[in-house]
Amino acid sequence: MNIWLEKFSPWIGLVFRLILGGVLFAAGYLKVGALDKSQMAVRAYELLPISIANFLGIVLPYVEIVMGLLLIIGAFTKYVAAGSAVIMFVFIIAISQAWARGLTIDCGCFGGGGQVAANETKYLPEILRDAGLVLLSLFLIRYPVTRFSLDKSSN
Amino acid sequence: MVKDNGAPKKDNFTRNLVVAVIVGVVLLMLVPTLLSKKSDNSAALPAIASVEDGYGIAFNADLANAPKIDIYEDFQCPYCAGFEGLTGAYLDELITKKEAKVVYHLMSFIGIESLSAANAAGCAADEGKFLEFHKLLYANQPKSENSGTWTNEYLKAAGQGVGVTSQKFSTCIDDLKYANWSKNIANEAGKKNVNSTPTIFVNGKKIDNAKDLVSLDAFKAVVAKG
Repeated sequence: MNIWLEKFSPWIGLVFRLILGGVLFAAGYLKVGALDKSQMAVRAYELLPISIANFLGIVLPYVEIVMGLLLIIGAFTKYVAAGSAVIMFVFIIAISQAWARGLTIDCGCFGGGGQVAANETKYLPEILRDAGLVLLSLFLIRYPVTRFSLDKSSN
Repeated sequence: MVKDNGAPKKDNFTRNLVVAVIVGVVLLMLVPTLLSKKSDNSAALPAIASVEDGYGIAFNADLANAPKIDIYEDFQCPYCAGFEGLTGAYLDELITKKEAKVVYHLMSFIGIESLSAANAAGCAADEGKFLEFHKLLYANQPKSENSGTWTNEYLKAAGQGVGVTSQKFSTCIDDLKYANWSKNIANEAGKKNVNSTPTIFVNGKKIDNAKDLVSLDAFKAVVAKG
């Protein structure tokens, strides 16, 4: 099993890289043209002071775009994967606390966000999706050498 | 398998260069965006806009010992039209009798017609006809948002409807003179965590639309309670 994994990990890694990078890039790209909405989505979590939430609402889409691009081209794969594991983890915590506190919001992960009707919340699917992306990230941290990447070594 | 025979620095030169370019380009877009979210101090403002009150159109701003009502609304928002229908006459009375400070924060997030309408209202404010113009637009709110009804010609005709016929008003509408004012309002509203319209604050406390706007008496009560 280990030998098989070692042999195919660059290809599996390529697929995971493209999925993770694609999702991150799409998330950022869909938000970067509607920054007022993005700021509002972060404020709706009621987790951060307003000024910090507003700042994050602008910066986060750009960060996602950069991380997405770097993963897609396979640059600094291990580090960007580590970074994406961290932010996915943070997202999971943010969504979980909104759920636990009885907030009724859309995660705003791909644009939109803010208040929704109580029966329109999709907390569990959103958490599961982000957890899946964490797993992809962990694989890339463990096997950072992937096919068709700009990384010329594992550093 | 890790091929690590070359000098890593040279091997990764292309990668590092590409990444530097990507990060550079993104920073070139991000930094100006962050800076543009600071309110524009040099923006043209309608005469009765109050910088301290989120650039809103303020009535009786200097009144002491009176409740302060901040109204965040978008001209295209149907619930805002409902709010105006419910409380419009009462608010007019509070303003005329100088019994309250009322500040209108005209948001423009629904669409471009919101911006045109807000700009036109600012122009009408310069002619001393804000309240009348404001009332007229809400009374004639189109059935659906972003319908294309509120063109410059429509807004000028609306101005005529409240007795504003000056060239200055027409130019103000055509030039979208108060676009930056609208941006300032939006920025300040973001800092106050205004996420939907109508959002009403009485003496700095956000009211609960579901409870306090269920009837005019409910609204009067929350204003009286302060």
